[in-house]
Amino acid sequence: MKRRLFVASSLSALGLTACGSVKDSLTNGPFRSVLLSTEKLNHAVIGTHGLAREYKESDVDRDFRVNGLDTPSDSVYTGLVRGGFRAYRLRVDGLVDRPQTLTLADLRAAGDRTQITRHDCVEGWSAIGKWRGVPLGTVLAMARPKATARYCVFHCFDADQSGTRYYESLDLHEAAHPQTLLALDLNDKPLDPDHGAPVRLKIPTQLGYKSAKWVRRIELVADYTPIEGGKGGYWEDQGYEWYAGI
Amino acid sequence: MTTSETASRPFSGVMHEPAAGRVYRHGIVARAAHWLWALAMLVLVMSGLQIFNAAPYLDASDKSDPGRRVLAFGAQRVGGVPVGTTTVFGLTLRTTHLLGYTDDGLGGESPRAFPAWATLPGPQDLADGRRWHLAFAWALTIAVAAYLVSAAARGTLRELVLRPSDLPKLWPMQLYYFRLRKEPPPHGTYNPLQKAAYTVVLFAFFPLIVLTGLTLSPGVDAAAPWLTALFGGRQFARAWHFLLMALLIGYFLVHLTMVVTTGMWNNMRSMITGWYALGEHDGVGP
Repeated sequence: MKRRLFVASSLSALGLTACGSVKDSLTNGPFRSVLLSTEKLNHAVIGTHGLAREYKESDVDRDFRVNGLDTPSDSVYTGLVRGGFRAYRLRVDGLVDRPQTLTLADLRAAGDRTQITRHDCVEGWSAIGKWRGVPLGTVLAMARPKATARYCVFHCFDADQSGTRYYESLDLHEAAHPQTLLALDLNDKPLDPDHGAPVRLKIPTQLGYKSAKWVRRIELVADYTPIEGGKGGYWEDQGYEWYAGI
Repeated sequence: MTTSETASRPFSGVMHEPAAGRVYRHGIVARAAHWLWALAMLVLVMSGLQIFNAAPYLDASDKSDPGRRVLAFGAQRVGGVPVGTTTVFGLTLRTTHLLGYTDDGLGGESPRAFPAWATLPGPQDLADGRRWHLAFAWALTIAVAAYLVSAAARGTLRELVLRPSDLPKLWPMQLYYFRLRKEPPPHGTYNPLQKAAYTVVLFAFFPLIVLTGLTLSPGVDAAAPWLTALFGGRQFARAWHFLLMALLIGYFLVHLTMVVTTGMWNNMRSMITGWYALGEHDGVGP
């Protein structure tokens, strides 16, 4: 009987290795809820503590790797690029007492922080950039979020091949982290279109996909599930964790 | 080992009187932990290779740096034919069909570091690979912690931790395994080589693979930057994490060889029911 048990367990192990359909049914079957539930545990244990390491000038990648979706090529965005982003306005609205419509000059005047931090991509690679901009918390405070607001959602200019827009979200705790930056400059120059011009999020305590590029609007919400795929972000809608501190 | 020694071991008194030549060796926690490790290792290796495929290179540095690359997989066309390559410390080998350019799980071959049969899920799927990996990392961590607590309480840990007095016996034991020595050196429940292997796996490989894995997370890096620095930075930690996986696979292969060659059914039974029959192989494996 023990032999049978051994043979059966060996065969199932082999099956797991060799048979794609077994792997697929395990990944997408009832067991999926177990796989997904781990995220809450990781968020609870790791959370958002401390400050990301800040580096020296000499650590900076001068040719910072371009990642994410393709640089937007629609007429609205290319028009903004041609006009040197003078027509750009960042809207901060939703559950706020004082909705804001901010120019780049307004943003530069609101606050100024420079940080040399490491960007960690979910794929596994890392790059170091020098980011300058205004802390997100400062901009949110200008809009005075209502007590019911729990998340800020970043709506972006970029979209994938099928036209699905990029978006991201953070809870207000992560949004208020001193290193969570609305970046305007990379490596001492205004962001270029490929790196998310004119405004991108830079949150070094989470994986790169949280750092939304080409931000056009920040919406304060009580719940992000009615937005797009309902998981709180473009990559989240495709199965990635909303909590990207791990 | 003698039966009288067995009787003096903690908890053995509450067991049924062992039949002649049998000993209750593995408690329920140890057996459960053992099989959970086996399952977790399988899932973690396969989902880990899936995750690795998304950035199929390792750099001995904090940030990604091709100048400090120690391992890389690639694919290129040579005379119109796809070729898979593996580059280890600058030495490039052709590994087409196995590594670099290999089974993509969709009925063909693509540029991919590790083949679909070795990854979880099979086809390229970083999101689900991470879900599997982060779930079973907990399974491994909890199983290791539960085992250590239970083994310390039962006294098993005392029997299997390598001590300085075991060091001179390591080589004689190896000679015995090589059949260059008639008798193994005198030892307790576990021989010196077993103790060395279990000690390294339990107190070095398992904790280090969990810690290096944690430092790949930006949230952990912010909370404990010293830990990441200890491993030489995030990319270096990723390389250590990969190396520890290779070492654990190496341990597993030796372990499996010992299970099979030192009385496979007896070994298997003892890890399923707890009961180990004393005999010619007592204390020499796995």
